[in-house]
Amino acid sequence: MMVYGLFLVSGLAVGSLYALGGIGLVILRNSTGVLNFAYGAIAAFSAMFAWQIADWGLPGVLSWISAVAVGILLSVAYGRLIAPSLAWREPAVKAIATLGYMLILLGLIGFIWEDALRKINLPSDKVAISLLGVRVTLTRIIAFAVSIMAVIAMVQYLRRSHTGLNMRALADNRDHAALLGIPIVKTETLAWGISGALAGFTGLIFGSLVRLEPTVITFMVIPATAAAICGRLRSLPLTLAGGLFIGVVESMLTLYKPAAPLRTMAPFVIAALVILWMQRGQKLTFAKEA
Amino acid sequence: MPKTVLPPLVVLAICLFVLPLVLSALWVKVVTSAAIFALAAAGISVLFAQLGLINLAQIALVGVGGWIALRLNYATPLPVTLIIAIAGIATAAIGAVLALPALRMRGLYLALVTLMAAGAFQILFNAFQFPNGGEGFWGVARQSAADIRPPLMVQTDVGYLRYSIVIVALCFGLVALHRVTAPGRAWAMIRQSEANAMAAGVNVTFYKIWAFALSGLLAGVAGALLSGALGQLDPRSFLASEGILLFALAVVGGAYSWAGAVIAGILYKLLPALLNDFGVSADIALIVFGGALLHAIMTAPRGIAGQLIGALQRKPS
Repeated sequence: MMVYGLFLVSGLAVGSLYALGGIGLVILRNSTGVLNFAYGAIAAFSAMFAWQIADWGLPGVLSWISAVAVGILLSVAYGRLIAPSLAWREPAVKAIATLGYMLILLGLIGFIWEDALRKINLPSDKVAISLLGVRVTLTRIIAFAVSIMAVIAMVQYLRRSHTGLNMRALADNRDHAALLGIPIVKTETLAWGISGALAGFTGLIFGSLVRLEPTVITFMVIPATAAAICGRLRSLPLTLAGGLFIGVVESMLTLYKPAAPLRTMAPFVIAALVILWMQRGQKLTFAKEA
Repeated sequence: MPKTVLPPLVVLAICLFVLPLVLSALWVKVVTSAAIFALAAAGISVLFAQLGLINLAQIALVGVGGWIALRLNYATPLPVTLIIAIAGIATAAIGAVLALPALRMRGLYLALVTLMAAGAFQILFNAFQFPNGGEGFWGVARQSAADIRPPLMVQTDVGYLRYSIVIVALCFGLVALHRVTAPGRAWAMIRQSEANAMAAGVNVTFYKIWAFALSGLLAGVAGALLSGALGQLDPRSFLASEGILLFALAVVGGAYSWAGAVIAGILYKLLPALLNDFGVSADIALIVFGGALLHAIMTAPRGIAGQLIGALQRKPS
């Protein structure tokens, strides 16, 4: 029983990271129509920056805040400088453009920080409680709680606030929203900012929980996308559920020997099945864009 | 017609007769890989330029082709050229299977499916490794790897460079042939409007699968050639990130002409080696590639090749 509890807990922790990534992707995609493949690179840059701050001996709180701030900065920079000129292109082209930003960030990270073994120590790593007979660090609990809180907060925000309403209008139809006088650029910048903040936070926690390696964090965007796909790139609660489910499946497969080396395939297989299921009964693609 | 045939023939002649004379041993290997990856990029271009489909899993198919070629090379006494053909055809079949989801979707979701496929293959390659002369189906030996047979009449690296370039050129010819015959016309119609293509009597399903099979064939042949060039394959060459990079470079080079694929191959393999030679960090190459991709998408949809051709064709006023 203890073993299952152990893998369940670690699966939920990894799953909440996938979910956090997926939520950031979905929030952005909902209002701007951009699926941001550079999300992981932004997370990696933020995590490395936080490490740098801590390495300079500055207080831990500052390094936490800096991760989120850098995330917002990098995300908004793309949103303001590059995304507007692609606003009227099809979704696939917008997504491919973010791959360019991802490569740039990846190159910058490699240029600034040499490859080395690094570690982020968060103060919450030392605090732990016992759950199902397993020692659970506070960092894991924070990752889990924040992912759930982010979903609740975002759903409420979109539903109740004025800017949230603007975002929903933009998600429905950008042209009509513009015609109604909704400040498109302002609303989109806000979405880029929220998504960037989540990216920075995810990077920081990922760096502490899993590994502080820029390429690993950068390509965390692939399982995060898998989580987002589970939410049809639209629904936040389903993205959360998808991310947690993927994380738990991936972790539990460790227990089944023949599948153990292939367990990291779980996100891809699950996402591919979800996509195929979503497209069921559809024969022609015609001009309709996903 | 001769006007469009001449430039590729000139490039082919230079590659066959001039390059082997001027390159040192190290650069012969680099240019061989560049030529091979130009072929893989051509497969990406077929789907992107002809049908507007985004395939981020091309590198995975290259890996599949390489795996099949290595497996056959160790297990059978077949001639190497035949093995390359078999690897190409088998990979084309796998590419056609990848096309099944593509029949129902396009745009972003197709890109995502291929990205998921690339991620899955990356893990498969890592788990099972590439055959290196060991026992059993997976053929992985723990100790030192066995040598593979080279193609007939090819003894040196320079010989292999020529051999690869001839095969790459033949495959480029195959793609060019597709563009001017029935499949090319069908693809053009499908790209404009699937509904209209169907109304005009084009078998949309068949020609879409055909495009994926052709793209897979190019990837498979590239993989088989690569296994012969390197003797051994490393799972780390077939990461999903490499697939993204190769796609980016195919777009940067220019998806609409053969020259674009050649430029993509050069950027992918030759440029990093050159930068390394000059003592510049490979990270700079990534930054340049990223910027070039953004530039290509925003202002130069035909890529570097399109800009070059445009500059050459512009009449002096």
